[in-house]
Amino acid sequence: MNTDNLITHARARFDHVAARRVLKEKYEARMLFAHAGGMWRAGPELLVLLATVPPGDAVVLDLYETPIQVNSDQLRGMAMIRWQEQMNAWLVDHEQLNKKR
Amino acid sequence: MTTGALIFAFNNEQTDYIAMAAWSAERIRRHLKIPTAVITDCKDQSRLTKFDHVIAADPVKGGVRFFDDYQKTLTWYNAGRIDAYTLTPWEQTLVLDADYVVCSDQLTAVIDSTQDFLSHRMAWDITGINNFKGLNWFGEHNMPMWWATVMMFRKSPTCEYIFNCMKMVKENWMHYKALYHSPGSNFRNDHALSIALGIVNGHTLDINNIPWGLATIISSYNLTQISSDHFQIEYFDQDKLKTIDWQNMDFHAMCKRQLGDIVANTV
Repeated sequence: MNTDNLITHARARFDHVAARRVLKEKYEARMLFAHAGGMWRAGPELLVLLATVPPGDAVVLDLYETPIQVNSDQLRGMAMIRWQEQMNAWLVDHEQLNKKR
Repeated sequence: MTTGALIFAFNNEQTDYIAMAAWSAERIRRHLKIPTAVITDCKDQSRLTKFDHVIAADPVKGGVRFFDDYQKTLTWYNAGRIDAYTLTPWEQTLVLDADYVVCSDQLTAVIDSTQDFLSHRMAWDITGINNFKGLNWFGEHNMPMWWATVMMFRKSPTCEYIFNCMKMVKENWMHYKALYHSPGSNFRNDHALSIALGIVNGHTLDINNIPWGLATIISSYNLTQISSDHFQIEYFDQDKLKTIDWQNMDFHAMCKRQLGDIVANTV
């Protein structure tokens, strides 16, 4: 086994994972938003939850585990837009990162 | 409700915190669309034009501290932070360190939040090399540390308790230092804040925080500015020079000398 190659590969892998982590931190932070007195994370969990409640007013726990009365359609719309916008931006950054490898 | 940012800026022998705060005020206005107040002892009006409010105060020494990037022991004017509650001109205040670099509108989520008080619980090293165990926890008992780098507070009884409690911790620092087995002799805002948050929240450690990590660039890394919100970080990993591109994302620059150079070249 050529250990030099292995070390080079391992270091490159470390850098790539570190860069992926930076992107994850960046975009996970951007998924967060405040609405109706609560703090929310746009993403599958919130979207699926909101899809299960009836349209109109609903009470949902926010990130701080506080029950918040929201209009479920409105919150779902906001979460969906934010999630898709940030996922698209994440994809662009991710593809640029892969090109650098 | 009035909302604004508050920056403490007291120059020491090496760092021009006033220039740094003025540079930051422009970024805060651009990204967060809120006014900025500065608390300073600077009397030169020409250096204070970037701020919406100037609050005159005397610097309070937090002690002396060795700064890696300057390779010198310098005076550390950090202790006035506990007066933020009484000095702020705003009903809702975002206290930022002068070396916190706003590159995005991320903090609007904190401003829009209805919480009374928020600060970062965890910082992370953007290179992934350091785990910051010694920074995210403190003392022999590994107490969780809340960072005073970014604090959002509202005029409210809870926040009044928090700041009064920080003041009590400061006034009795040797007692609390011994109680929490906090290392070093200097008073630290972060430790006082963490102790105060613990006390005010009934020692439950059930404390709401800014729900993302504080991206941090430590003093041994080399920071350069590519464009307004685009920075490059160079660092050595096992003797190999590496670079990270950093765009449109806020960060805490512990490398004050290099941030000072960037500010000096911008103004």
